[in-house]
Amino acid sequence: MSQPAMNKADFISSIVLTLFGIGIVVESLRLPRLENLNVNSYTVPGIVPGFLGLFLTIAGLAILVRSIRRGGWKLSLNKDGVRRWLGSAMVMRTAVTVVITMGYAILLFPNVPFWIATPIFIFVFVVATEAMKYGGLPSRMKLLTALVLAIIAGLVINYVFQDLFFVRLPGG
Amino acid sequence: MDGLISFANSVASILTSWSAVDVVWATLLGIIVGMLPGLTATLGVALLTTLTFKMEADQAILILVCMYVGAIYGGSRSAILLNIPGTPANAATALDGFPLARSGKAGSAMAIATTGSVFGGLIGMMALAVIAPVLAEFALSFGAFEFFWLAVFGVLISGQLTSLDDPIKGWIAGFLGLFIATIGQEGIYAVPRFSYGSTDLSGGIGLLPAMVGAFGLAEILTVMRHEAYEAVRAKSDSVWSGIRDAYKYKFTAIRSGLIGTLMGLIPGVGEDMGSWASYAAARQSSKNKEEFGKGSVEGLLAAESGNNAAVPGALIPVLTLAVPGSAPAAVLLAAMIIHGIRPGPLIMIESPGFVYSVVAMVFLATIAMGVLGLLLTRPLVMVLKVTRERLMPIIFVLCTVGAFAIASRTFDVWVMLFFGVFGFILRELKYPMAPLILGIVLGDILDKSLRRGLVLSDGELIQFFNRPISMVLWISALLFILLTMPSIRNLLGRLFKQKTEGGIQ
Repeated sequence: MSQPAMNKADFISSIVLTLFGIGIVVESLRLPRLENLNVNSYTVPGIVPGFLGLFLTIAGLAILVRSIRRGGWKLSLNKDGVRRWLGSAMVMRTAVTVVITMGYAILLFPNVPFWIATPIFIFVFVVATEAMKYGGLPSRMKLLTALVLAIIAGLVINYVFQDLFFVRLPGG
Repeated sequence: MDGLISFANSVASILTSWSAVDVVWATLLGIIVGMLPGLTATLGVALLTTLTFKMEADQAILILVCMYVGAIYGGSRSAILLNIPGTPANAATALDGFPLARSGKAGSAMAIATTGSVFGGLIGMMALAVIAPVLAEFALSFGAFEFFWLAVFGVLISGQLTSLDDPIKGWIAGFLGLFIATIGQEGIYAVPRFSYGSTDLSGGIGLLPAMVGAFGLAEILTVMRHEAYEAVRAKSDSVWSGIRDAYKYKFTAIRSGLIGTLMGLIPGVGEDMGSWASYAAARQSSKNKEEFGKGSVEGLLAAESGNNAAVPGALIPVLTLAVPGSAPAAVLLAAMIIHGIRPGPLIMIESPGFVYSVVAMVFLATIAMGVLGLLLTRPLVMVLKVTRERLMPIIFVLCTVGAFAIASRTFDVWVMLFFGVFGFILRELKYPMAPLILGIVLGDILDKSLRRGLVLSDGELIQFFNRPISMVLWISALLFILLTMPSIRNLLGRLFKQKTEGGIQ
């Protein structure tokens, strides 16, 4: 990331961090003080997170001030720029990876038998990322090897965890 | 003498049982994990922890130590052949290793890296055997005040050294880690904090799922974000000439081993800094400074001696203080606790033999690493031909199953996913991961020590500052903060300049 882009990223992230720090302080103050148990006031549960929240707030403000001084507040967002960024190969690769991995971990892994879910995930991941790499659907040979890899990997991982290490996998 | 006997017994018992086979396969697996860009030593140790938690404690820890040693070394292969450090600890290796490979000396470069790693590992191992018992005895005098400052010092120094350009981001990462550790039931009155009625959150955030996410999924996203790498097609020469070259710089290797061990000892700093600090020291004292960065044998040797020496160095605070010296050491600490071993100041009283068993494990892993590294130079290069598009989905499946396997909870998979995406965003914003993980490990110590200290002193803060060990720790932490402030550095620079000019006049 270039320095001007980092300044902008710091500007936004420091606002989030400062608000998060304030939130921790507020929530720490709301934690029980256990007066009914007559506990020592120095040991109340909120004391440590409260201090941590205070530090994060101060540190967030320090980065915010620094990013403003460096011109990070001039976000100068425009439709074309955002569209270009969203369409860049880097962002596309990241987005595809996030969508496929989340789909597997959130939808397939807990609900579908492991030995079915895993080969599907591996095959889809390989085909989607290789399609982006080669600018089109991979050759038949590559598709076939991806399918073989997906089936073997799924079965081997299933065997290692379920039969060798006795881990009961979810999804049936 | 008792220590030496314990060490010899441990070596003999490993070599005369099936554990010897574990040493070979776990070290080889470690080398492969380290070689593959996108797989770090931390992830390797974390995934193996989930696979080995039903084994006997000694066998599981042996496998994890071998994975750790092998992975830190294995990263040198991709640094030399692809100019991509296999693990962050091999970044300095690429500076001289890749130019050597490009000039047709890939075989020599791999042999120099192997020799340096063996040298460094053995020096660190000796330091582990000598320092750990002494430090454990010294740590017996630590109370709540000292442990509080140790946690603060660890997070600050780790934040500082892993984010040299912008220390404040390192400290923020560390304090975020400390905060994450406060989620769930606290350790004194069992009051749930920040769990909002969720029974899963009341149990706290597990270190292993968090680490698998921060070092697994985050790494997958980082690798997939960038362009694919191309393997080097340079001619490879004989490995034996590399060993001869390395031997010429034996004093550099010894110095780098000592520096690496010291860096490993400092909480949360670890192998990356061990490598960089050794490299910088070698460059400073070299007669051929101009060769550094262009294929210097001395530079490559220093970087690899430094990072492998940091491995046993990082185990010293794990065993004696229950404070990890690096991110993979944090997983190892968690694994020891899972297996019922209680690292900390009492280790030399409760299980004195265990420290020497770990020394023996490091010794055998280092020897296995050297032998496998030299014998399998050419076959191991084949590993680098696996494309990321085919490797990363398998790694992600292992991350998901690994996170789930620890407690058979789907919640841990969510934790892994959260830390993966959160870790990826933090990395992109240049926040280091090591202080975050150290913060999660030290959060409980800091929480309990501060509150106990306040009770013991009846709220008198002066008692946190006036005890001798506390004093050393807080003054060091304060100096570290002050020295990073540009205004203080400028002031010191002006003062020294005036003094020098005065002296010349």
